[in-house]
Amino acid sequence: MGVRADSVADGTGLEGPPPRRQRGGWFVQVLRESTQAKVGLGVLLFFIAVALLAPWIAPYSVHEQTGAVYCPPSPRHPLGCDDGGIDMLSLLIVGGRTSLIVGFAATFVAMIIGGGIGITAGYRGGWLDGVLMRITDYFLVIPDLPLAIIIAAVWGASLTHLIFVIALLLWTTTARIVRSQVKSVRERVYVKRTRSLGAGSSRIVFRHVLPQIAPLLIANTVLTVAIAIFDETALSFLGLGDPSAVTWGSIIEFAFLRSAISAGAWWAIIPAGLCVAFVIMGCYWLGQSIEDALNPRLKVAHLSPRSFRLRPISRREDAE
Amino acid sequence: MRRADYVIKRTFFAFVTIFVAITLNFFLFRVIPGDAVSNLARVPHATPALRQALEEEFGLDKPKWEQYLIYLKQLAHGNMGVSFANQEPVWSNLKTALANTLPMVTLGTVIAIVIGLITGVLSAWRRKTKLDHISTNVAIAFYAFPTQWLALVLLIYLSGFLPSHGMTNDFLLNPTPWEHFKDVGLHMILPAMTLALTLYGQYTLVVRSSMLETLGEDYVLTARAKGFTQRKVVTRHALRNAMLPTTTLIALSLGYIVAGAILIETVFSWPGIGSAVYQAVTQRDYPMLQGAFLVLTVSVVAANFVADLLYFKLDPRITE
Amino acid sequence: MTLLSVRGLHVWFDLPDGRELRAVQDVAFDLNSGERMGLVGESGCGKTTTILALMGLLPSSASVGGEVLLDGVNILEGGEESLRPHRWNDVAMVFQGAMNALNPVKTVEHQIVEPMELHHQAEGAAASKRAGELLELVGIPAAAGARYPHEFSGGMRQRAAIAMALACSPRILLADEPTTALDVMVQAQILELLTELSEELGLALLLVTHDLPVVAEICERAAVMYAGEIVEAGPMDELFHSPRHPYTRLLFAATPDLYGDEPVLSIPGAPPRLDQDITGCPFHPRCDKAFDRCRHERPELRDVAVGHEAACHLNDEASWSGSRIE
Repeated sequence: MGVRADSVADGTGLEGPPPRRQRGGWFVQVLRESTQAKVGLGVLLFFIAVALLAPWIAPYSVHEQTGAVYCPPSPRHPLGCDDGGIDMLSLLIVGGRTSLIVGFAATFVAMIIGGGIGITAGYRGGWLDGVLMRITDYFLVIPDLPLAIIIAAVWGASLTHLIFVIALLLWTTTARIVRSQVKSVRERVYVKRTRSLGAGSSRIVFRHVLPQIAPLLIANTVLTVAIAIFDETALSFLGLGDPSAVTWGSIIEFAFLRSAISAGAWWAIIPAGLCVAFVIMGCYWLGQSIEDALNPRLKVAHLSPRSFRLRPISRREDAE
Repeated sequence: MRRADYVIKRTFFAFVTIFVAITLNFFLFRVIPGDAVSNLARVPHATPALRQALEEEFGLDKPKWEQYLIYLKQLAHGNMGVSFANQEPVWSNLKTALANTLPMVTLGTVIAIVIGLITGVLSAWRRKTKLDHISTNVAIAFYAFPTQWLALVLLIYLSGFLPSHGMTNDFLLNPTPWEHFKDVGLHMILPAMTLALTLYGQYTLVVRSSMLETLGEDYVLTARAKGFTQRKVVTRHALRNAMLPTTTLIALSLGYIVAGAILIETVFSWPGIGSAVYQAVTQRDYPMLQGAFLVLTVSVVAANFVADLLYFKLDPRITE
Repeated sequence: MTLLSVRGLHVWFDLPDGRELRAVQDVAFDLNSGERMGLVGESGCGKTTTILALMGLLPSSASVGGEVLLDGVNILEGGEESLRPHRWNDVAMVFQGAMNALNPVKTVEHQIVEPMELHHQAEGAAASKRAGELLELVGIPAAAGARYPHEFSGGMRQRAAIAMALACSPRILLADEPTTALDVMVQAQILELLTELSEELGLALLLVTHDLPVVAEICERAAVMYAGEIVEAGPMDELFHSPRHPYTRLLFAATPDLYGDEPVLSIPGAPPRLDQDITGCPFHPRCDKAFDRCRHERPELRDVAVGHEAACHLNDEASWSGSRIE
C-alpha cells in the first residue's frame, strides 16, 4: 500500500544505529518518507485550494442557466450542464466548497465532542469512564445512517443541522482513541510528577497529554473527514440535505431525481462522484500514512513466495 | 463458568442497546416540536374511526411518560402504528420489505467477503509488489466511491444487459416458481453486485493487514522451523489466525451494510427496507420511519451478537 | 565426527534502497554431541541471525553463503530443500519470547504432536502419549497439554516450548535468549533443565544470549560475536579469566557484580553500521587499547591457546599480558 516509512533494515530484525531526529517534527518526517502521504496531502490541498478559490474560478454562476438542459461537454461547458442548464463545472467547484465545509465542520464538532468525552473518561476514570464508555458503545452499535435519517427528518433540513447530525455519527471513534491514549499517557511518570508539583488538571491535559496524542488524533481527524463527506453525500442523496445548498451530494441527488440517466447525461453524475472519491482517497492515504508511521509494525515476514538466496563465497571475501 | 459469563454479558448488552434505541426513537419523535411528527394518529386521510383507535391504542392524550410505557407495551405486541402512506400496519409493511432485503444483502455481503479474503491474502502474500499496490489502491477506490454513485454508474452502463429496476418483471404473468426465482435472481444481480463492490474494499484492507501481522508472528516461524513447507504453514497456521479479526470486521461493517442497502435499494427501486426508508423520508411517513429505524437497529444488534458469539467460539483467548 | 560444523558463514540482507547489510561475516565453529556452547554479544551483533541461518529460517531478503555441515554433509548447499528434512528432527530451536512462539489458538499438546506427525515419528494416541511424557520431562503435568498457551505462565510457556522442541528427538537444540523476560528463579530452573537435558539425552546445546551470567552458568565454551563476526571463542573460564580480546574483557566486566562493589562499566559508543564497509578492526573506535594498526588492518581470528582463538592485533605483540580489568 504505497511506500511505508521503513527504517534501516526491514526484514533483518537487526537494529541499526539509533534513528536520527529529523528537523521539522514528525509530520514532515512522515511526508518525507511516504509517497502515499505526499499524494494524499497533494490531493487534499488541491481540492481545498479549489474550494477556497471557488468564487473566483467558477466559470459561471450556479444560479443562472447558461446552457441547454443537459447539454453535453463542450468547449464552453467542459463538463456539460445539468437539467437546469447550469454549468456542471461551476456546480462542482461551488459544490466542492460546501461539501468540504460541511465535512470539515462536522469533523471539527465531532472532534470536540469525542475529544471532550475521551479526555474526561480517560482522565477521570472510575464510574464516569464506565458510563461514558457504555454510551459510546451503544452509539457504535446503532446503525449510523438510519439514526442520521430519523434525526435529520425530524429536525429539518439545513446545513447546520446536517453538520451536527453527521458529527453525531462520528464522535465515537474519536472518543475511544482519545480515551485510550489519555489513559496511557496519564500513567506516565512525568504526568504524575507534574501533578505532585501542583499543576492543575487542565494544564496537564493541554501541555502534556495533547502533544502526545496529537499525531494519532490528526490521523483520526483526517480519516473522519473522509467519512463526514461520505455521509453528507448519502444524506443529501436521500433528500435530507439543505435544499438550497449545492454540494457534491446534492448534484448526484438531482441527477438521480431528474432522470439524468434516461437523458444519457453521464456528466451530471460521474464527475461529482469522482470528486468525492478522490477527496476520500486523499484523506485515507494521508491518514493511513500517519497511522502507519505511528504504529510501525515492521514485522519481518516469516513467510514469502521467495526463499532466501544462496551465495557462493569467494576466497577474497573470506580474507576481507 | 467463564464462557457462560461472556454470553450472558453480551446478551444483556444487546438488550440494553435495543432498549436505548427504542427510547431514543420515542423521545425523538415526541420531544421535537412539530405537530405532524408527534402524533402517530395524524394519519393523512384517515377515517375518524381509525384516528380514534390509534389515539386510544397509544394513549395520545395521556402524559408523556405514560405514553412511553404504552409505547413499549404496544411494541411488545408488534404494534408500531399505521403507515401514513398506505394505512397498513407498519410492521406488516416492514416485514415484507425486510424479507425482500435479506437475500439481496446476504448475497452482496458474501461476495464481498469472498473477494475481500482473496485479494487481502494475495496482497499480503505479495506485499509491496505491484500486485499489492494495485490491489490495495483499487480497494481504497471502491471504498471511496459513494455507494449511490456506484449504483448509478452500474445502472448507466449495465442497464442494457441486466434488469435494473425493482425486484420482478411486472410483465411476467403467472410465473412458475422456477421462473419467478430466475426473475428475482436476475433483478438481484445489479444491487447485490453494487453492494459487494462498495463493501469489499474494507475487507481487503483488514484481511491484508491481519495477514501481514500474522506472517510476522513468531509461531509462524516456529511452524516453518518444525519443517512444514511454506504453503502448509500459510494454510494451516497463518490463514486461520489471520481470519479472526475478519469476524469482528463484518460485525463492525454492519452499519455500512445497512447504509449501502438503503442507498442501493433507492437507486434500483428494490422493494426492501432500504426503499421503505427512502419512501418514508420523502413522504414524511413518520410511523414507518420510526418502525424502520427500530427494525434496522434490532437487526444490526442481533447480527452483532451473533458475530460476538462466533468470535468467542473461534478465539480461545476470549474468556471474559 | 563433529556433529555440527559451521564454516565461513556469511549472511547479507537486502536494504530497501538497494544496498546490502552484512549481518554475519565468516562465522565458523564446531559443536559436538552433548556439548553446551554459548554465542554471546550485544543486541544486533548477528547471533540470532547466525542460528536462524543454520536452520534456513531467514526471510527472502537474505543471502547466505558458507557451509553448514551436519554429520559431515553440507545441508546448506541445496537451500530450503536440503535444510527442511533436518528441521526439528536433527536441529530444533527454542525461540526468544516463547509467549509468541506458541500458536495461541491451538492447544499445547497439539503443537507438540504436530511435528511428530509431520515427520512420521508418531501418530494419534501414541503421539499424545509422547507429548505428555515430554511435558513431564520439562516439569509440566501432562494433563496441562490440553490447555492453551495463554493459560500458562511465562516460565511454563518456555518449558512447553522446550518440550515442543524435543518432540522429534533432535540432536541439537538452538536456544535463543531462553531466559530473557523470565524472573531470576524461573531462569535458574530453565537453565537447570537445559543442562539436565543435555547431559541425559546427549543433546548439543547452542545458547544464544547477551546475558553473560547465563552463559557462564551452563556453557563449557562460548563464542563472542561483534558486528557480525566472531571476535573470540574458547573455554568459558578462559574467556572470563584471561580474555584475549578487549571486547570480551569489557563485556565480562560490564556485568554487574552482585557481591562486589566494583563500579559497573559500560562500553561507550555504539556498534558500527553494517551497511557500510568497515576498515580495520570493527571494534577499534570503542576499544581502549586500540593503536595505529587497528585502524587500517582487520585482525584475523587466530589461535592464542589450545581451543582458544581471538581476532585482535594485541595478540601479536609479544608484550600482551592478558590482564583483566585495569
